[in-house]
Amino acid sequence: MLHPFRYLAPQSAQELAAMLADHASDGKILAGGTDLIPNIRNGVFKPSVVIDVKKLPDASSLRLGADGLSLGPAVTVNDILRSKDARERYPVLCACAHELASHQVRNRATVAGNVVNASPCSDMAPALLCLDAVAVIGSGTGQRELPFREFFTGVKKTALKPGEWLDRIVVPASSAGARGSYLKLKRIAGHDLGIVGVLFVRLGGSLRFGVSSAAPTPVLVDTVTAKDGPDQAAATVLGSVSPISDVRGTKEYRQHMIGVFVRRLLAEVK
Amino acid sequence: MFDDKRPEELAYVGRSSDRPDTMEKLTGEATYVSDMRLPGMLHAQVKKSPHARARIVRIDTGKAAAMPGVRAIITGDEVDVHIGLYIVDKYVLAKGEVRHYGEAVAAVAADSLEEARAAADAIEVEYEVLPPVLHHMDALKPDAPLVHPDLGSYGYVAAAFTPMPGTNIANHTKLRKGDVDKGFAEAAYIVEREYDCPSVQHVPMETHVAIVQWGKGDRVSIWTSAQSPFTVRNLFCHAFGLAHAQVRVQIPYVGGGFGGKAGIGVEPLCAVLSRKAGGRPVKFQATREEEFSLLPCRSALTYRIKTGVSAEGKIVAQQMTMYWDSGAYADYAVNVTRASGYSASGPYEIPNAWVDAYTIYTNKPYGTAYRGFGHVEFHWAVERHMELVAQAIGMDPLLFRLKNALRPGSKTLTGETIQKNTGNVVACIEDAARRIHYGDLTPEEKERQKQTGWKIGKGVAALHKAPAMPPFTATAVILKMNEDGSVLVNLALTDYGQGTYTSIRQIVAERLGFPPKKIRVAFENDTDRDPYDWQTVASKGLVLSGNAAILAAEDLLKNAYDVAAQALHANPRDLAHDGERVFLRHHPDKGVSFSSMAVGLALPNGNGIGGPLIGVGRYIAQGLSNLNKETGEGTPALDWTFGAHGMIVEVNEESGEYRVLKVASVYDVGRAINPDMVRGQAIGGMMQGLGTATCEGYIYDKDGRLLNPSFTDNKIPTAKDLPLEVECAVVETPQIDGPYGARGVGEHSMISVAPALGNAIQKATGAELTHMPMRFEDVWRALENREPIDNWITKSPVGSCRSAPEARPKE
Repeated sequence: MLHPFRYLAPQSAQELAAMLADHASDGKILAGGTDLIPNIRNGVFKPSVVIDVKKLPDASSLRLGADGLSLGPAVTVNDILRSKDARERYPVLCACAHELASHQVRNRATVAGNVVNASPCSDMAPALLCLDAVAVIGSGTGQRELPFREFFTGVKKTALKPGEWLDRIVVPASSAGARGSYLKLKRIAGHDLGIVGVLFVRLGGSLRFGVSSAAPTPVLVDTVTAKDGPDQAAATVLGSVSPISDVRGTKEYRQHMIGVFVRRLLAEVK
Repeated sequence: MFDDKRPEELAYVGRSSDRPDTMEKLTGEATYVSDMRLPGMLHAQVKKSPHARARIVRIDTGKAAAMPGVRAIITGDEVDVHIGLYIVDKYVLAKGEVRHYGEAVAAVAADSLEEARAAADAIEVEYEVLPPVLHHMDALKPDAPLVHPDLGSYGYVAAAFTPMPGTNIANHTKLRKGDVDKGFAEAAYIVEREYDCPSVQHVPMETHVAIVQWGKGDRVSIWTSAQSPFTVRNLFCHAFGLAHAQVRVQIPYVGGGFGGKAGIGVEPLCAVLSRKAGGRPVKFQATREEEFSLLPCRSALTYRIKTGVSAEGKIVAQQMTMYWDSGAYADYAVNVTRASGYSASGPYEIPNAWVDAYTIYTNKPYGTAYRGFGHVEFHWAVERHMELVAQAIGMDPLLFRLKNALRPGSKTLTGETIQKNTGNVVACIEDAARRIHYGDLTPEEKERQKQTGWKIGKGVAALHKAPAMPPFTATAVILKMNEDGSVLVNLALTDYGQGTYTSIRQIVAERLGFPPKKIRVAFENDTDRDPYDWQTVASKGLVLSGNAAILAAEDLLKNAYDVAAQALHANPRDLAHDGERVFLRHHPDKGVSFSSMAVGLALPNGNGIGGPLIGVGRYIAQGLSNLNKETGEGTPALDWTFGAHGMIVEVNEESGEYRVLKVASVYDVGRAINPDMVRGQAIGGMMQGLGTATCEGYIYDKDGRLLNPSFTDNKIPTAKDLPLEVECAVVETPQIDGPYGARGVGEHSMISVAPALGNAIQKATGAELTHMPMRFEDVWRALENREPIDNWITKSPVGSCRSAPEARPKE
């Protein structure tokens, strides 16, 4: 490793809270490491302490309970794909998980890590947004719950305050059975960051779109109604995003493809 | 041909045979330079320029030198060593001025990689940033900054190249055939178009890496991941003024090259550090990011073609102007320009031709050899152009190709007459077309189109390439018999994945009449142990080294027969042999085993005769000539390998998304020594070609910084991108002077994949693409008639940097 750091592995929430308090400015939380380690290698982050949350009790627990599907902070993306409960009750979660990176990366990458980075191109965020998932946030003073629709606050920014961590993700029981599909425009068929991604979910009578790589944060659009035609739906989704031009594609192509994907998804997911 | 035999008479050639390196590679036992650690070895890191063009005002290494573990620091001022093969224009480290983003300005050797990295970070460089010249068409403008103001003082190979001092033109290759003015005057149609493609990376799995020990008495040992041990040694000795006997180059297993490891690479950098560190070995391995900008890439090309066609669809005149972007250094790009210049028309007969091919300096990472050596890039233009010309004159593109294809009696651009045995491009085109049911859709395809709504189109593109090499290129192979009668093959042609050693082993087996398992080709190359080979490039390895291997096998047999003749008291003409022994033809029970003769035959009384059995084969290209620098006339081609691809694609007209449904590739390989190796090369090259066709390419910002120097935004295809169906086939028109009739096919599979795709997309949807790569967005833009995004050099993260097309050099 080209940047030396101390490795800490707290065994309890209290330990974790104390470590975060001690290292508010020079500590980074490690889960799968698929973002953190490349960022350290590239000199983006230079933490003097890396705090591994995988040793916390229940960190890797993936449990179906009365309140829904609960994911600990070390649950990997492939854990989701392997989970019978996720596949049968939350197929939308799996649709997004399957599009994330490659099989090898999914073995390490965690669902929590994919959202705490608040990357606009997060593949899990559209699913968590559309399924009304809740972030259970830990801290030294107890837990608080925050719906994911309030979680992303800006480019790579979340509502997590200093000393807080994402302790659990709960996908509510009320979202079980939601049907949907995720279309992700990529440069190659394999492992790629999305040029744009659109998830469409039918949950009861409600229509939801989760959009990635098209705004400073992942975006939830829940204002499309069943009465809207495809063009109206596309216009509504486009009204909620603000894509930019970069090396992966231009703003106008991103806008065009969001419209294409919205229309395609409305026809596909009946 | 060498060892002329009918296919049915051959025991090992023309059949499948295991690769000799399979076990080592699959188990991870194969040792690469990346794996190597020598006692006392130091690790090197370089300080790289963040600017495309800047004057180096000051370099302060004081802080870095005081850091723990640092053993040597070196800057350009201390190293007065120029390096080059064709035009000697590059220093080991930038001197006075940096010429591209990522160029090395200083280097450190330290006990550990971490210490070296920290020290390199601590080196302070003060720059005076200068305005760069980024686009090769801008570099031709009269007021463009000069990338090499001292071009006139550089050494170069005058027999082949023409630099133009006072400009950014590193070389101008000319070719004049017939009378183009007369040809255009007679033409019924004239079509003129421009095509381009960006720089791309080779991306070998193993990045560039070397270990160099500058020992006592200036004896230098080099271990390197390179394609050509003797060229590394030769260029190294020239650069440092050392005798060849003082320098030893060893190449163990190599993790891919694709042309990027031809010539010399990071060896001189390690050498100067080792010298300064008192002779401790120094290792440098490029990171993936350094692979993209410190090390060379493939040149970008803008190609303008003007074609005159008769009313019957025969090409009567063609003017071809190539603008090659060499980047900051042109050592290899000048030869890419030359080789492309004399093949510029593709496999078609052009009675009146005029070619100007320019190598142009810019302030960008520099170009080098890349599988196809320019032919991938210019065939993109030629084979899209053939399609667009056919469309303009209202003829089917396949018919137009067949009507103009080289046939026996045709004359190439350089005036060479195509013979019946040269190879058959017509058969390749026809077979590729047949394999995709060119011309219409099958009922299944119509049904698929109805169900998906995606439009299916089919395209064909042809190709040719001859090895780009000096006309006197030579090689040698040595066979040594082991005590048990098995044979060791030594050669300095390097097998960095192509599979050539598998074929060489089959050739030796065939000529000796030994089973392949009795023959070992030594994988590690060593200039102190192996006989000379020029370079492992140009798809010439199988032909030249294959012939040398046949000659070596004949020599070994002759030596064995001489010993056997003495032992058996026979005339050598009375002898025959099998895999075990030499015997009398008329008394097969009377013989002497190879194992008993292998290291000298001991007679019953203890007398010895013979000596260790060795076979030597030397081969040099025959009958080739330099080209006339004014007309391009001459004989440059060892052999022409022809081929064609047929491509079926389905395209979504609304979004520009597409999927390749089928690729059928056909090559006239003369004879497939090993059909599996041909297939491996065919599929691998086709995928590499699809990568550059669909998504690869360097993107710069307006200051010349590379915006996509890693796999995050410089994608290459993976197994998931394989077309749904792949067919590979060969036409076999034996090469008269090739080993068992074979010719090379290593690079050809990558050529013309992109235009086949472009032609198929156009057939499906009408989208007219003239830029590579063809990203989904590019297809969408073409369908919508929107301005193409030319973001290979961007003014903002995305934008356009189209240069003034009037900036053409005057003849």
